[in-house]
Amino acid sequence: MKSVLIVDDSIAVSRQLEKIIDDGKEFKVIAQGRNGAEAIKLCQQHKPDIVCLDMNMPVMDGLTALRSLMQLMPDLPVVMVTSLGGVGDKYTEAIRLGARDVISKPFEKESVLDMLRRL
Amino acid sequence: MPVKFFGQFMVEKGAITRMALLQAIDLQEKTNLKFGEMVIEMGLMGKEDIARVHLAQRSEDLHFGDMAVKMGFITEDQVQQALTRQRNSHLYIGEALVKVGAISDQSLEKYLADFKQDQAGYISEKIEIPADVPHRPIWEMVADLTYKMLTRVVGISFRPGPCTIIEKIPARPIIAEMGFSGSVSARYLLSVSESTRNLVAKAILAEDSVENESVEILDDSVKEFVNIVCGNIAAKAAQLGHSIDITPPEMRDDSAHGITVPEKHTGLMFPVYLSDGEIFELTIFVADR
Repeated sequence: MKSVLIVDDSIAVSRQLEKIIDDGKEFKVIAQGRNGAEAIKLCQQHKPDIVCLDMNMPVMDGLTALRSLMQLMPDLPVVMVTSLGGVGDKYTEAIRLGARDVISKPFEKESVLDMLRRL
Repeated sequence: MPVKFFGQFMVEKGAITRMALLQAIDLQEKTNLKFGEMVIEMGLMGKEDIARVHLAQRSEDLHFGDMAVKMGFITEDQVQQALTRQRNSHLYIGEALVKVGAISDQSLEKYLADFKQDQAGYISEKIEIPADVPHRPIWEMVADLTYKMLTRVVGISFRPGPCTIIEKIPARPIIAEMGFSGSVSARYLLSVSESTRNLVAKAILAEDSVENESVEILDDSVKEFVNIVCGNIAAKAAQLGHSIDITPPEMRDDSAHGITVPEKHTGLMFPVYLSDGEIFELTIFVADR
């Protein structure tokens, strides 16, 4: 079973994503963070197999956290979570920085699981 | 499937790799000139003029071409010439994917048809915005996407009422808002009753009941719904050639007294009638030009 870290400032989103991901078979959500700084700390602490990282957060946004994470753990599979659909600049920047993929809101359960299985 | 770009659609479909998409985007960036770059290439303006226009745009919300005309660098006709040349030489992402060898010319047509079908649910139908309101097509799209997300995300039946210009949003227990900047300057506000908030929370949390949830979680769900809608609005706006940045969602703490439309703004209200007799409102505070 792969361990997943969810980082999102919205408790509602984290709950929704955990409900989709944590099926007790393939994926287990091991921790949640509320901003980019917590993402870095929790990654170092828990060494998750996958990180779901919100793009737009207070304190430290997702792209800034992604940049740091890729320097610290270049092989870490990170997927960005965003309501911005495929808004060109942010999508491109996330992929360029090393994100494996982008999950768009509203979530579709099978799309999210398929994406995580591909990592 | 939410509003998205063709490139993202192709990656998600497994038709191309992320690397191929980046190569195509790089090619697009090299090929497609921005308006300022185009007028330089056409010999209409110099680099220093461009910098002056950019500086002036910081203090006045005008498109580059309009500002350049206002400052006397180019004429309206030259703006049109540059726009036409920009349009005619534009390399679309599908064409770029063919050029970098990611897909064949023949398959592009089929993928575009699949993409069109995928996004068909997000194509706007006509919504009437009062005359003289700036950027009317954008507000039509904002209302339309809100209605579509209410159906798809929250799963409620409703009837949208006609858009009216208002002076004040009526008092509501919960009002969540987000800001738009970039091509337009505005605030997006969704004002709901407690029962409508709970409907939204049920959908966002994917729970059958939210009776035992805290107010913080319930309010957070409304903010998240607004965030989803506005994110998709920004994506749709980008498809239409506008650049909209959104600020994080917030709860208004003055909702219980109603909210007066700020000075130098127009308040557009779109009432939404639910089948159980409840009403809630989408309101947009549009900054005057």
